[in-house]
Amino acid sequence: MEKNMSLSDDREYTNGEITVYWKPGACVHASYCYRELIEVFDPSRRPWVDMKGASTMKIIETVNMCPTEALTWKWNDEGKNEDVGSDQYNHVKFRRPELMEKPSSASAGTPVSVKVMNDGPIIIKGNFNLKYGDIEKEIKDSLISICRCGRSEHQPFCDGTHRKKGFIG
Amino acid sequence: MEKEENKPSEAIVEVITGGPLRISGNFILKDLKRGDESTPGEIWLCRCGKSSNKPYCDGSHRNK
Repeated sequence: MEKNMSLSDDREYTNGEITVYWKPGACVHASYCYRELIEVFDPSRRPWVDMKGASTMKIIETVNMCPTEALTWKWNDEGKNEDVGSDQYNHVKFRRPELMEKPSSASAGTPVSVKVMNDGPIIIKGNFNLKYGDIEKEIKDSLISICRCGRSEHQPFCDGTHRKKGFIG
Repeated sequence: MEKEENKPSEAIVEVITGGPLRISGNFILKDLKRGDESTPGEIWLCRCGKSSNKPYCDGSHRNK
């Protein structure tokens, strides 16, 4: 419950590519954000964050200067957050890992889509574990196409052979 | 802000060597050929093209 209370003051801002999280209670007014990038972080404006004010890279660079967890950021494309290194000081996974676990957009909680195509392969889309042979892979927000006709030269994946062979099923 | 205990991967897709495709977990199956949609929880889909119960495996791959 306490966590929910504190989260309720939070704001988040996005430009479609990244989301910047603002946690007012953590701010110590070090003022790096607006000295560095007033176009985005302007305390005299409401809302005080304008994500259109600068490029994504510039915003990330400025958010990373915040000495507290008042400003943090992450990619909207969840898959890209995995690869973020520790040089990105204020990425949420280092500062506010609770925000990483939050089900967001089309990631966690969304059922995987399995489509049996008309006389074609099985298309599997979403987040899932793929196992074949000794290989085990985590597929994130992506899709695979599995052969159903038994004739693909790139088993277990579809290579389009079903069309040449006139597969029906 | 309800937090759910969801893991990033909730479904498992397993290619069984010499056999069908096993899918289990949180997924929706849409069969465009037969117009079916279901959430079966676990299925075995034919990969050899020989099943007479497509899209499901009926063991025909063994009789090749």
